[in-house]
Amino acid sequence: MESNLLRVDLTTGEIKNEIIGHDVFERWVGGSGINNWIMWEHFLTHDINCDPRSPDNIFVFGVGPLAGSGAGSGVKGRITFKSPCYDMFGDSAGGGKFPYMIRFTGFEYIAITGRAPKPVYLHICNDEVSLRDASHLWGKDTKDTHAILQKELGDYPSKTHTLSIGQAGENQVGIAGVVSDALRIHARCGGGAVLGSKNLKAIAVQGDGGIKIKRPEGLMKWSDEFRQSLDKNEAVYGFKRRGTLGAVEMYQHIGSHFWRNGQGNMFRGDDITSDNWVKRFHKYSEVCSSDCFIACDAKYKIDGTESEASKEYIGESFRRPEYLTTGSAAGALDVRDWAEVAHWGKLTNDYGIDNQDLSCSISFLMELKQRDLISDDDVANLFGHSQSLEWGNMKDIERLVDDIVFQSNPFGKMFGDGPYKGALRYSEMMGQNFMKYAMYGKGGASFTEEMRPFPTWMNNMAVASRGADHLKGLGLIEKFQRRDLSQIYFGGPEAADLTIPDYKGASTAIIENQVALLNSYGVCMFHWMLDPAGYMPEKYYGEAYRSITGVEHDSDQLMRDGERICNLEKAFNSRVGMRREHDTICERWMWEPTDEGMYPGSVAADMFEPVLDEYYQWRGWDVKSGLQTRAKLEELDLGEVADVLEADGALARG
Amino acid sequence: MITVRTEYHSHFKEITGLPGDTFELDQPTVSELAKQLTDKYGDRMSALLIDPNTNQLNANGTMYVDSKGRRVFIEDTLEDGETIAFLVGIAGG
Repeated sequence: MESNLLRVDLTTGEIKNEIIGHDVFERWVGGSGINNWIMWEHFLTHDINCDPRSPDNIFVFGVGPLAGSGAGSGVKGRITFKSPCYDMFGDSAGGGKFPYMIRFTGFEYIAITGRAPKPVYLHICNDEVSLRDASHLWGKDTKDTHAILQKELGDYPSKTHTLSIGQAGENQVGIAGVVSDALRIHARCGGGAVLGSKNLKAIAVQGDGGIKIKRPEGLMKWSDEFRQSLDKNEAVYGFKRRGTLGAVEMYQHIGSHFWRNGQGNMFRGDDITSDNWVKRFHKYSEVCSSDCFIACDAKYKIDGTESEASKEYIGESFRRPEYLTTGSAAGALDVRDWAEVAHWGKLTNDYGIDNQDLSCSISFLMELKQRDLISDDDVANLFGHSQSLEWGNMKDIERLVDDIVFQSNPFGKMFGDGPYKGALRYSEMMGQNFMKYAMYGKGGASFTEEMRPFPTWMNNMAVASRGADHLKGLGLIEKFQRRDLSQIYFGGPEAADLTIPDYKGASTAIIENQVALLNSYGVCMFHWMLDPAGYMPEKYYGEAYRSITGVEHDSDQLMRDGERICNLEKAFNSRVGMRREHDTICERWMWEPTDEGMYPGSVAADMFEPVLDEYYQWRGWDVKSGLQTRAKLEELDLGEVADVLEADGALARG
Repeated sequence: MITVRTEYHSHFKEITGLPGDTFELDQPTVSELAKQLTDKYGDRMSALLIDPNTNQLNANGTMYVDSKGRRVFIEDTLEDGETIAFLVGIAGG
């Protein structure tokens, strides 16, 4: 397999095409693996300690070989960059039609560097590529930007698909995301701020080419069997009906939500905890990518009869909220009306901002208010306008969102990089340590679910290469207590047992490798929960990958490829100074016991250190420093990475 | 004979049309409970509950926990008065 990499230097306006050879796929699989390699190479000639908002940063978009191939496994594009909010490795996935439409132009990877002197957008129409004036788009949200570009560029040779930033990205808010076709946000790590700093408002693509498949008959056979496997599972139909919102009742039952800044783990309010929203809000189904056999997406359109608050949003239509949109609004902020939860999802998507970081930033201050730790004078100084900081008050929450998106007051500026930096800055300003109320891991916002009863989950948050994150280590063997998977991976049930530390760090290490493969294939993560293809991607997706690319790696080699990809992300973070002491989680997760749900009394501290030790041991890294060893890197054919780390003083000694 | 309560959530509730049931089991096993459930609710319940490849409880996209929050498997035994919740095993998004 070969691919085309489009390199765009916004400072000079130079645009050039580069071939990504088969040998690169042999080593980095595709998708996020190749993105990581492109960024690693970039920072061998640019200062890795640069300000992420400077022209020296790079923004890479890539899409893996399975995406849009007809495999039916969903489509995810990947953006990769140095994170402006966390100052470390940053990446984020997004679905929809943009990622595979770009393949139809002939380009599968884009690397953007420099800074344009004025706002521009990048237009790719098959092999014709140009930078165009975007002054008429600047100041627009992602919905309007997408609509204007679709109208402006038309439907020939294909409909126009876009990747764009909203006002949050334009204002270089650290937690700004990048939005695909105005519907699906690459939310994590601040890619929107990187594009904003480069004056790049959008990428618009139109293509009518095809995708080369090495062995089409092999892919078609695999795809047919994959579809039949999904068809046999009634749970897939349940997932089509509810999407990730099916988790609401499960989490309510076991106590796994994130309520009021993590003070509780169950939602409050009958409406928000019931299944009634399915009938009232699920108006029609939507296929996210046209290359997915599951099709879990849906849209709502509010007519004002659904709930009390729905009268405020008559006519509003958008994607049905995913679980984490709900977890951030109904959980972190205690919003109890579904119409408001749905509106929160649309609002943050239109502005192009991560609702996990946003909700944890807002809920931090709401908890201070609840505890009388913030005075009326403090509120006046922070906001410059009235602000109740009242849980669930959607009008005031919208004002808080505006403050951050438009950087319009001290609060907005302080919390633009998420809750960790925000709480540090606030504590410094006030001369008092409020960090015990900040919800984070490794400097990133906690994602809005309960952690404490789940040792693998806690470990995921502490070690994820992009700051606290559940989508790198995906501790579902443990959360769903999958004894069957524990048996397959480790020869016993221990990894599924919540009460012991055994195999929890090992689970993180192995699943990180598998997730790296999924992200490099370019498929959707939801298959992890529904089909063996998801939780054993080296085995079940392997044949599809080989048929498409001609990279003849067996399961063992693919797992090694996943491990190599993870090690490059780790090496990036080691170069910017991250060590074992950065692999940590916030005080509440660590020390404050749960007092509700099915696992009361849980604290992370009980198992945190042994699980972290085990993680490093399974990784083959130095337990004391958390750094990589030359032996492990050479085993993964990454000797040149070890050389770079050694030169930077970021390789384990001995 | 033991008595076991069931709680249905999300897709399980949609198939059964009920928030829960009570079953009397001659054999105190999850296997017997699964048989009574599929006998009572038919093919859709069977397709949701049983993995046709292994004849185990379907593990993909589903979750079954006892009153202490422990996942149950088809080979497990049950105590009289136990409640088993049938849940959708989905996360993230």
